[in-house]
Amino acid sequence: MSRRIHPAVVGAQPFQLTARETFDGPIFETEEGRRRLEAALSRYPTKQAALLPMLGFVQSVKGWIEPEDMVEVAEALDLTPAYVHSVATFYTMYNKHPVGRHFVQVCTNISCHLNRAEEVLRSFLAETGTREGETSEDGEFTVIEAECLGACGFATVVQVNDRYLENVTPDGVPEIVAKLRGARDGAAAGGPAAEGDA
Amino acid sequence: MAENGARADVRLTIDGVEVTVPSGTRVIEAAERVGVVVPRYCYHPGIPTRPAQCRMCLVEVEGRPKLEPSCTLQATDDMVVNTASDAARTARQAVIEFLLVNHPLDCPICDAAGQCMLQDYAYVTNQLESRVDEPKRIMGRDRISDDILYFADRCVICTRCVRFMRDVAEDDSLIVAQRGDKAYIDTFPGRELDNPFQGNIVDVCPVGALVHEDFVFKTRAWDMDSAASVCPGCPTGCNVTIDTKENQIVRVKPRHNAAVNSWWMCDYGRRHLVMTNRGVRADVPLVRDGEQLRPVDWATALDWVAGRIDALGSPGGSAVVSPDASNENLFYVERLLGRLGITGAAFIVPQGETAALPTVPTLKLRADRAANPAGAELFGGRRVDGLRNGASAGGLVVLDDELKGADEDFGGSADFFLYLGTRLAGAARNADAVLPIATFAEMDGTFTNFEGRVQRFHQALRPPGLARPGWMVLSRVLARLGDGEAVNDVRGAFERMAAEAPAFAGLTWDGIGLKGAAAAGSGAEAAGVAASAEADA
Amino acid sequence: MSFPHGSDLETTTRLSRHQGSAEARTLEGWRARGGYEALRRSLDMSPAEVTEVVKASGLRGRGGAGFPTGLKWSFMPKDDGKPHYLCCNADESEPGAFKDREVIRWTPHLLIEGCLIAARAIGAEHAYIYVRGEFFEETRVLNAAVVEAYENGLAGEGILGSSWSCDVTIHAGAGAYIAGEETGLMNSLMGNRAEPWAKPPFPAQAGAFGMPTTVNNVETLAAVPMILEHGAEWYRQWGSERSPGTKLWSCSGHLVRPGNYEFALGLPLSDIIFEACGGTPSGRPVKAVIPGGSSTAFLGGDELDCATTYEGLAEAGSALGTASPIVMDEDTDIVAAMRRIAQFYAHESCGQCVQCREGTSWVVRILQRIEAGDGRPSDIDTLYELCEQMTGRTICVLADSVVFPLRSSLDKFRADYEALMKPSLVAAG
Repeated sequence: MSRRIHPAVVGAQPFQLTARETFDGPIFETEEGRRRLEAALSRYPTKQAALLPMLGFVQSVKGWIEPEDMVEVAEALDLTPAYVHSVATFYTMYNKHPVGRHFVQVCTNISCHLNRAEEVLRSFLAETGTREGETSEDGEFTVIEAECLGACGFATVVQVNDRYLENVTPDGVPEIVAKLRGARDGAAAGGPAAEGDA
Repeated sequence: MAENGARADVRLTIDGVEVTVPSGTRVIEAAERVGVVVPRYCYHPGIPTRPAQCRMCLVEVEGRPKLEPSCTLQATDDMVVNTASDAARTARQAVIEFLLVNHPLDCPICDAAGQCMLQDYAYVTNQLESRVDEPKRIMGRDRISDDILYFADRCVICTRCVRFMRDVAEDDSLIVAQRGDKAYIDTFPGRELDNPFQGNIVDVCPVGALVHEDFVFKTRAWDMDSAASVCPGCPTGCNVTIDTKENQIVRVKPRHNAAVNSWWMCDYGRRHLVMTNRGVRADVPLVRDGEQLRPVDWATALDWVAGRIDALGSPGGSAVVSPDASNENLFYVERLLGRLGITGAAFIVPQGETAALPTVPTLKLRADRAANPAGAELFGGRRVDGLRNGASAGGLVVLDDELKGADEDFGGSADFFLYLGTRLAGAARNADAVLPIATFAEMDGTFTNFEGRVQRFHQALRPPGLARPGWMVLSRVLARLGDGEAVNDVRGAFERMAAEAPAFAGLTWDGIGLKGAAAAGSGAEAAGVAASAEADA
Repeated sequence: MSFPHGSDLETTTRLSRHQGSAEARTLEGWRARGGYEALRRSLDMSPAEVTEVVKASGLRGRGGAGFPTGLKWSFMPKDDGKPHYLCCNADESEPGAFKDREVIRWTPHLLIEGCLIAARAIGAEHAYIYVRGEFFEETRVLNAAVVEAYENGLAGEGILGSSWSCDVTIHAGAGAYIAGEETGLMNSLMGNRAEPWAKPPFPAQAGAFGMPTTVNNVETLAAVPMILEHGAEWYRQWGSERSPGTKLWSCSGHLVRPGNYEFALGLPLSDIIFEACGGTPSGRPVKAVIPGGSSTAFLGGDELDCATTYEGLAEAGSALGTASPIVMDEDTDIVAAMRRIAQFYAHESCGQCVQCREGTSWVVRILQRIEAGDGRPSDIDTLYELCEQMTGRTICVLADSVVFPLRSSLDKFRADYEALMKPSLVAAG
């Protein structure tokens, strides 16, 4: 009944948007791909249950999920590509199109709305010179409006790739954008982890 | 809650009428027993899964605070159900109004108009005006397969099509993409459906979201005539409805028969049925006049043919019959062959690939691509692989076989070559007489399916020109030879067949009804198929 | 700054008392704080005894519905020979709520311990923690804790040297509010669209993977270890008969000190808003509060004296929900706020039920039109009628969730709606 844990991996994967270029060709034929698949499969009574973890893995590698990836995932889990497509399009976190190096999601839900979130959104769009959902020409930024990110006490909340920025004000946006431009993969510009680890 | 496993009956009241149903029956089905059809979209009796998601079949149950979906609600003892209470009717009316928030009012150019469950329910809920003042969401249309189009804006997301593919055809290639009011039906991007049974998704669609491309903009539903028929594509004998307009077949739909095809049929059958009525037809009797075949009227032709046969006596010879011929046609041909001393008519059954619908074991596209090889066998036919040249002397009778692959001088050396056909096959050129007969769609009759089930089909089309049902023609030839009487309707033909052919003993035209009955001694009878021959339309 | 504030008010930090200390995240730090002692204690008890203690404590589900936790556990079949599963609902997505996130990121071992105790009570062989996908940081923290737990014999085979085994797996969501509904969550766990299913079957009969399953919220499970450690009576020293214990409060909106707090259940709502959170930054009066997350009914600024218990807020015409008051000051445009809330539900509707799929987006479109100045008095009647038809008609309560704030906003702030309509039309209406 109980399974040995896989070194450093228990079920869901910690997402790392770091290795986009290292995966060329079929993802589940790479050593890392095989390892992730095997680890996920060991955690569930059905193969299908590994679908979300594997889609998440693909996205963490490529930044988005394209149809060919869905076919690969489907084959790995004995599902039809159509079924994977159905599931992938249900969840908003799976990017069905490429996004910028910094994927900026501005929550405008109620608590953030009460704290000038729409202005924050407009400010991000103006600073990055993009329209909503559009990737800037240099490939740096994609800015979208997001639904509640679950940090309402720290409005306005902005998610950049896998990091939360909290208490963002419209005035603070230029500095954030400038920091991001100079940073690798959205790792900088502060965030809750930096504070929490202190 | 009913106890699992127990199959005792439960007694409940639906709209004031008491009804007893087996335990486990859902209220929506129990209601049908008292003549109440609860409006529904996602529920389909042929699809096993019941997501209860359209919320159209909500009914009021005494003692329960909320309306309940009758498609999943189990009937229990003493349950009191009201399908037409104010609350239930208001809720249904609201569902219609909600659906019309985005559903386009393009009924004038929608192929489902007149046969649309949204139109019908909107009509019966008497919604004179909509409060929807907002612009509708526009999605457009998509191609689902080589012959099926999807009009996304009309879709009510009942998922019948998705669940037919997934739960009946076990082919998980049609899905719901996206979510909320952006949801739509889709295949994998760049791939189309490729399943031999996919046409059924069009039939289950309650609105005009899924349509066959060859039906688009072809006819209004109310301009069609319909006839109950049987698919001639293979010996399964799926029960179908043939829809016609201006004497052309415009659509074929499966007709429910639990013992044969459930609610479904294959796509090959649909296409084949339409094709059976294409091609140049024999539409006037022809008799030999030296080198020529001369058109004549029926009286002349029948007298001439009967005279020739009478003169021949019993010379023996050979015969070829079509495995697509009806039982009645085969019966009369057998009588005629007996008169000529010919036994064992040959028949050739074209072969094709098989396809099975996983969850309906009786429904299979069978390798035999003909409607009635079982009937041909019952009347003493011999299955052969191909035709020789028919060089033997004596009589030669061909019943509607196109004689593909036959030599050019096929039948040339016969003393008398009678050809009864729907089409003017090349090899009929040597015939002494060509009698034009109706296709199955142009007459009433029966086929015997692969397991010996005798099934009625009804006339959907007028035959062209002077073509007439084979049994009508042959009964007249035989009557002129002193064998029985000329029959004018299929009842007469069937009754004589049942009286004289042992395999059909005891069957009556009315008795076999619209669902068919087992031929005597057939596998179907042993399997108790006859018991299900109730004549519900 | 994300951990609970101290304040002038007497906060009762029991569940959250180790939040804010990075050391508490590690197994060593957690053990130093008495961690896993409750689990050890539970191993000496029978599953039924564990359930009884939780039942006696009166702990109610903290995910929003407030169903008694011990009772829920007791629905699980006994000795049926099937695998049982525990699902921890960490798909925190209710607008206004952000309490579970803090439990996970500061005290991951508390959650794991709670999961294991619950798993033991319901006979589960595997506890799945369904964390919303956006919580990358929280997932990393929790993942590290789970690895530590495995490496130290606290998860997996033979837990704490006993013969009892239970796996713990983190399952990340991928962006779907409806995955927080328990059947939606289980569908998502199984690799499906997170569509809720019509019950029956109930989770305790056939839940995740078709097996008996219990779904509990993070805060619920995090409360279990202290209840086991100190006993039901101890827990009942706080709160009321029907709402015992302490509760995390996620306070947001127009507040001087927004954030998470832990209070004994039963304080007046006004104390939380004004004493603990310092009132509005503008100093202007409070116009409205949505007390339990965006799925609960608006309270007017003059209705804040109610007791913050399940029953107290129900009497006030709203609900405790996820205990996430969203505070709006006098300058708030209620129609815009309501439109923003409705947009969320339209965006998150799974699309199965007609009333929800079409109704939520219809509500948004009407509200947008009113906001744009094209409203008519009949729109208000239509909205009321939609509220009627979107209540209690669907598989899950997502449609109902938009109705609670919508109907109450119409009841209490009708003038705000009418102010946006052309005066002549309002008079005529």
